[in-house]
Amino acid sequence: MYEEPYRWVEAVGNRRHYLDEQFKQGSPVVGVAYEAGILLMTMSKGTPKLYEIYDRLALGGMGHPADLEKVRFTLLETAHIEGFNRSPFDVTGSRMVKYGLAPVIKQAFEEVFKAPFIVKIILAELGQKIGKDSFLTVNYDGTFEEKNCYAMLGATPGVEQEMAAYLRSQTIVSLDQAVNAAVCAWAVGDRAQRQAFAEPGEPSEAPTNLDRQVSDSDVLYDHVRQCMNDKSIECALLDRQVPSTSKYRTIGPDELATLLPGDLGRSAA
Amino acid sequence: MGLQGDFYQLLKEQGYAFGLAGQAKVEQDLIAATTILAFKYRDGVLVAGDRRATAGNVVMYDRTDKVLEIDRHSVMAIAGVPATAYEMARVLEHSFKYYRRTQLQELSFEGKLRALSKLLKENVPAALAGTGAVAPIFAGYDSEQEAAKIYFYDILGAEFEGVEYAVSGSGSPTIRGILHYLNTWGEQPLSALSEEQATIQALRLLTSAAEFDSATGGVNRDAGLYPVIKFVAAGGVRATPDPQLRALFESKVSRTT
Repeated sequence: MYEEPYRWVEAVGNRRHYLDEQFKQGSPVVGVAYEAGILLMTMSKGTPKLYEIYDRLALGGMGHPADLEKVRFTLLETAHIEGFNRSPFDVTGSRMVKYGLAPVIKQAFEEVFKAPFIVKIILAELGQKIGKDSFLTVNYDGTFEEKNCYAMLGATPGVEQEMAAYLRSQTIVSLDQAVNAAVCAWAVGDRAQRQAFAEPGEPSEAPTNLDRQVSDSDVLYDHVRQCMNDKSIECALLDRQVPSTSKYRTIGPDELATLLPGDLGRSAA
Repeated sequence: MGLQGDFYQLLKEQGYAFGLAGQAKVEQDLIAATTILAFKYRDGVLVAGDRRATAGNVVMYDRTDKVLEIDRHSVMAIAGVPATAYEMARVLEHSFKYYRRTQLQELSFEGKLRALSKLLKENVPAALAGTGAVAPIFAGYDSEQEAAKIYFYDILGAEFEGVEYAVSGSGSPTIRGILHYLNTWGEQPLSALSEEQATIQALRLLTSAAEFDSATGGVNRDAGLYPVIKFVAAGGVRATPDPQLRALFESKVSRTT
């Protein structure tokens, strides 16, 4: 029945609606460039959402863990084969996404008899020079966007816009500023998602003060603090200062404790 | 889907082949011969190699790096046909990275040793045909046992632990005896040497090898060429910079200033 164009368009529309529903409970992901590299940040419940892909490439994702694994392996295989057959310098985020991953995700999305990828990703790429860092975001339908200073994943475009507006207002130079801006931007996104999907009249399980000014950092830290009951902060860096060719490293709880304000840092440790 | 994290298998699925047999009778001299050595010192393992590549009696190149960093905690020193050895190093480097990134954990030290052994076994046809023999030394930090270790291989892929030291290459018979003597009757065993003392010994050993083996390059002070010396310890792999080698060579090795 999907041979009829109208049916196919309708099926794809249904699929889009279905996929949007799947991200309602997802944890946003934030990527910010700072002086010495790129920070990826999210909050997760045990299963990591941030990964090393290649010497200068890192992945952050939201969605179904099994689909994120499929995407991760696709990127890992493509990057390593390319890096071996040509050179690590030829492994660029742009090539990986535009000619590798995005067409696969788009095809899966439009083949209505097959399962789509329930996943959205950020691919962060550390440039050879300061100011050349970049991000690529890929949506569940294969559409991708290139960004420079920051990038984010949220359940809806509206959520992402609120996160972007927050990050735009921040000055990010040091790692300390990057971590704090990313944590607050995550809180902006998570609060926006909870507001967007709150059932009318239903008592919210969400942390309180959702109606207060979102740029108030105390409110945002308080939101993160409450979320830490069942989630933990996950941070990964592409760090220009790492001496080896692989620039990826994670920020452990002890280091995180020194970067976040007082009690929030201690809770993370 | 990459469950095993085996990059070499992935390469083979892409049509990559390693160790194809060449001509049984090689008309042209292949680039080979060298001296590489490794020994345990106080804080880990020192790995050193001369920098000469020869083909028959022709010096092809005097700036070869034969002590290759495979990852943050392991190095492979190469003796034999450079084309094959460098390719092995590239496969290993990508294999270790691929494993770490797919499996979200480091490949064990034992796993790294097996990976090199597998490559050497695949290379046997080329090694026996005379076009690709490689006899490397592999040194790395075993985080499970919290110790730096040395292994050396024959061209067929057999691996042997160098409990105190290992040597390979055409200049190795000369220094093998010296290492045994130093370790047994020296003022202190090699494993008690400080980093500086170990560096001095490595420079003296490679200078001795160059004295008796034309295929081993010694120090060329006019050109500023010194051997490659790297240390493997708990903190990772670290190379000794040339200015430091020059100072030690001039004060502790050279008999003329």
